[in-house]
Amino acid sequence: MLAAVPLAVAAGCASPVATGQPAAGGTSGAKGTEVTVTTRSLPGVGTVLVTGKGYALYMFEPDRRRAVTCTGVCAGTWPPLMLPAGAALAAGPGVKASLLGSDPAPGGGRVVTYGGWPLYTYTGDVEPGQATGQAIDLNGGEWYVLRPSGTPLEPGP
Amino acid sequence: MTAPPSRPAGVGRRVILCGGLLGGGLVAGAAGASAGWALTGSADPAPASASPGIPPDDDLMREHGVLKRVLLCYREMTSRIQAGGQVGAADLHDAALIIHDYIEGFHEGLEEGFVFPRLRKDPAVAGTVTTLLVQHARGRVLTQFLLAQATAGGMNSGGTRTQLAAAMQAFVRMYEPHEAREDTVIFPAFRRVVPAQEFADLGQHFADLERQQFGHDEFGPMVDRVAGIERRLGIYDLSQFTPEVGPFSPSA
Repeated sequence: MLAAVPLAVAAGCASPVATGQPAAGGTSGAKGTEVTVTTRSLPGVGTVLVTGKGYALYMFEPDRRRAVTCTGVCAGTWPPLMLPAGAALAAGPGVKASLLGSDPAPGGGRVVTYGGWPLYTYTGDVEPGQATGQAIDLNGGEWYVLRPSGTPLEPGP
Repeated sequence: MTAPPSRPAGVGRRVILCGGLLGGGLVAGAAGASAGWALTGSADPAPASASPGIPPDDDLMREHGVLKRVLLCYREMTSRIQAGGQVGAADLHDAALIIHDYIEGFHEGLEEGFVFPRLRKDPAVAGTVTTLLVQHARGRVLTQFLLAQATAGGMNSGGTRTQLAAAMQAFVRMYEPHEAREDTVIFPAFRRVVPAQEFADLGQHFADLERQQFGHDEFGPMVDRVAGIERRLGIYDLSQFTPEVGPFSPSA
């Protein structure tokens, strides 16, 4: 489905423009808009964080809960969930609003965080409700979906 | 790279590309923005290139050449395993690592960040783009399996050898038509929708991103690496693939 391809949003272009990322759950960047992070039970992983449109959200281990490190080509595969200028963050059911935040993106703009983890979508999730990037080692580190507690869903020993 | 005459002084390529991608009528919304992020999302500016980049579709297709050669290695390894022969764990692991680092971790990121978003609104190829994205994801799962199991122990286990052969076979079966479709349908469509100057700038930017990620143009070293695997497998000599043909008889 064409519209299902997750998309990144702008960061750091001449005129930073937040765009209508299907995965972001928000509308085009402007005052009064919201970026929603919510929860959903997905096959194989259980209840995890998703965008307002139901796309799984991932954390990247090398970010270390400190900074956005997936940039350049990496961000082509893992589009970060951007917080458009003037937009508000909204916590959906099951999400702890206190854990929501944002970090500066290296190229400009801000990336939504949860419990300090910058959040990303995955281009391999072509429809809402998928988590095909779970536990993938790619672009210099491992990727995991996040529980509503903010804990990455890392495989057990 | 020499700046186009129309480029204002002090305005770098990345800004030009962002403007083109975000402001152009061809890539409204997020599709262009995806590339915008990839173009600008680095804390460290990519070093300037000394020479003009090759066109982006040529760049992607030469990377497909590396992929094709790994597929050839996978095919040979699969045949050997199925025939009860030996395959070096290190060679299999290195072949999978080339796929992981260069194809999945770089080449496909270029496609996902720059090429596919531009084609989302083209009804002639949109469905194909979705399939290609799904195949990228499935390929990464197969590669993870190969990297995890390509060990000395794994190569001595009958069950693991069977699974490794099946994974390589599935990977080859998927990626041969995958890359052929990209070369013949997706990249030509990409070239059609991107304005000429922006297309040229993208080629340069692909080269810059390669240097940013690997510290240099990684194509040559990757070719050398896969050639080394081919040599160890005994499939490097191209002449061995030339068939003997006698008088050709179509009805024979």
